[in-house]
Amino acid sequence: MGKKELNVAFLLALRSLQRGSRSSVVLTVLIIAMCFTNMVFLPGLFNGIGQSITAQIVDYETGNVLVGPKSGEQYVNDLDAVLDLINGMPGVERATPHLTKAATLKYRGRVLGVSVRVIKPGDEKFVSPLYSKIIAGSYLGEDDTGEVIIGKAVAGDRTIKQEDEFQPSLGGVQVGDSITVEYGPGYSREYRVKGIYSTGWYSADQTIFTTWSDMEQVEGQTLDHAEYITVKTKPGYTEKFIKNELEQYGVAESVSTMSDLLEKGMGRALQSFAIINMVSLIVGIVITTVVLFIVITIKTINSRKQIGILRAIGVDKEVIMHNYGMQVVIMAVMGIFCGVILTFLISLYMAAHPVVTPEWSATLYLTPMDYVTNSLILFLASVVAGYVPAWQVSREDIQSAMRA
Amino acid sequence: MIEITDLQKIYRMGSVEVRALDGVTMDIAKGEFLGIMGASGSGKTTLLHMLGLLDYPSSGRIVIDGTDLGSLTDYERTMFRLYKLGYVFQDYALVPDLTVMENVSLPAMLRKDRTGEQIKKDSYEILQRIGLCDRRDHLPRELSGGQQQRVSIARAMVNRPDILFADEPCANLDSENSRMVLELFREINEEFRQTIVMVSHEDWHKDYFHRIVRLRDGKVVSDGFNGKSGVT
Ligand SMILES: Nc1ncnc2c1ncn2[C@@H]1O[C@H](COP(=O)(O)OP(=O)(O)OP(=O)(O)O)[C@@H](O)[C@H]1O
Ligand SMILES: [Mg+2]
Repeated sequence: MGKKELNVAFLLALRSLQRGSRSSVVLTVLIIAMCFTNMVFLPGLFNGIGQSITAQIVDYETGNVLVGPKSGEQYVNDLDAVLDLINGMPGVERATPHLTKAATLKYRGRVLGVSVRVIKPGDEKFVSPLYSKIIAGSYLGEDDTGEVIIGKAVAGDRTIKQEDEFQPSLGGVQVGDSITVEYGPGYSREYRVKGIYSTGWYSADQTIFTTWSDMEQVEGQTLDHAEYITVKTKPGYTEKFIKNELEQYGVAESVSTMSDLLEKGMGRALQSFAIINMVSLIVGIVITTVVLFIVITIKTINSRKQIGILRAIGVDKEVIMHNYGMQVVIMAVMGIFCGVILTFLISLYMAAHPVVTPEWSATLYLTPMDYVTNSLILFLASVVAGYVPAWQVSREDIQSAMRA
Repeated sequence: MIEITDLQKIYRMGSVEVRALDGVTMDIAKGEFLGIMGASGSGKTTLLHMLGLLDYPSSGRIVIDGTDLGSLTDYERTMFRLYKLGYVFQDYALVPDLTVMENVSLPAMLRKDRTGEQIKKDSYEILQRIGLCDRRDHLPRELSGGQQQRVSIARAMVNRPDILFADEPCANLDSENSRMVLELFREINEEFRQTIVMVSHEDWHKDYFHRIVRLRDGKVVSDGFNGKSGVT
């Protein structure tokens, strides 16, 4: 197969597309574009949802890297030293400790079990955007005692009757109100509600936050231990890098990156996402392959005589094969190009108008790599779908082709 | 130029045996304008396809310019057709999506011994010769049947083949266009000493042939130079 043969095959292919049936070309290109969109849309959407969930988990649960107690221990002990060590590492924006206490809230006859999260409000600001989610009152100050901020879901709404509530709440707490927090039997404490926040992340909105200083008062001693430490990385540093760094430079506690945790926690969900993605990928490929196969088969059947004549006048069968093969390749390239543009436009639109729920917001999350791999897969499928009938028709013997 | 020895082509359809060619032996000389005539079904197309390497004989031997066709591989046969033979078919058989110019250039574009420059020049010249140069950017469907057939003659001639084959090239044309095509063949034959083998069943075409071979039931029944006839 020399250059001349390929040139002739390309000329034949190009002219056939240019001057043959326009509508069949446009239709085929559109179908390929739709197949491409179909292939990347669901996975992209799941990725988008996954990303938004991940972002909330990072913001309100784990940070980028989570430092937990050594195995066999209940707490991260010697907290100040550990915090100093972590905060001194390159690439660490801030590390901040967390404690949770199970508690019962009481307010005007309502009783609600929640967990109270104990934070250092100043450091927490660097790790979590909680401080920016205050919808009434204000965020906690570092040395506040006897004050809490409470989630919107806990605070509730006065206009909704208790029996109509979707989930139990305190029935409409307002900033400045006083609530009773019972830590275990017999020990309760009055708090003033300093602020109400709404993060949109379910489990955060179901809790209340108080300060480290307050908890030291409650416990009657300085707290030099934490349940876990959340670490925010500086831009440009990977979570993996920070994890390795912490482990190497003497953090004896268990260190996990956010993705370690996500894999553990969401393994199932991710697996079913992967299956759905795979199915939509396969469906896309099958549709494209079948359509292209049919288009080219029809085309070759309609031009059997033509093909016989071309072969009679000395056009080699390889040229015939590449002629039809290239037609598919050209249509596939155009279709994939349209598909890329289409999905890119959809992703732009969805970025501007995401489908928002409290838990996540759905955007189309597609990396350049997604575009490249899906394009390649679809391209290869098209080549097969085009070259198989092209190869078949080019093998037909001249006599039967010419008499067709 | 062409030596044919005891050529047979037998089609088997179930138990029925059709002897499309039944022992044809003859020679065709260089520069000849040969007419193959005979009734429908007498084996004219079959013979032409054997000579043009478009089909395989059941038995017998064809030697063209010293090459025994039986010894060629499939690819060599294709190249033989491309480099040495030209074809004109009854229904013109131009590529509908190529312009007149592109159709004519197509066989030349596949040849390793032609530059782009030369292809353009050759195609242009041959189009000028058949008088359709001003139509070179038209598509075949924009031409009349007679014009299309002239284009297909140009396509067959662009590579200056050793032998030009034509299977009832006038069957779809009215007598005026037929005359024009036949004139063109005659001129080509005379100008380039082009060997032409043409199938026809129109009696008046024989005025144009140097030599006429008549077939009946796959056998040569007469072979003679124009006017005079003698049995082989
Ligand atoms: N593929 C085939 N299978 C079976 N029989 C065939 C085939 N091709 C040709 N024949 C038979 O061979 C004989 C000669 O056919 P051929 O086409 O050579 O005739 P022809 O002289 O060209 O006729 P026409 O003038 O009608 O074109 C016919 O009887 C035809 O039926
Ligand atoms: Mg015939």
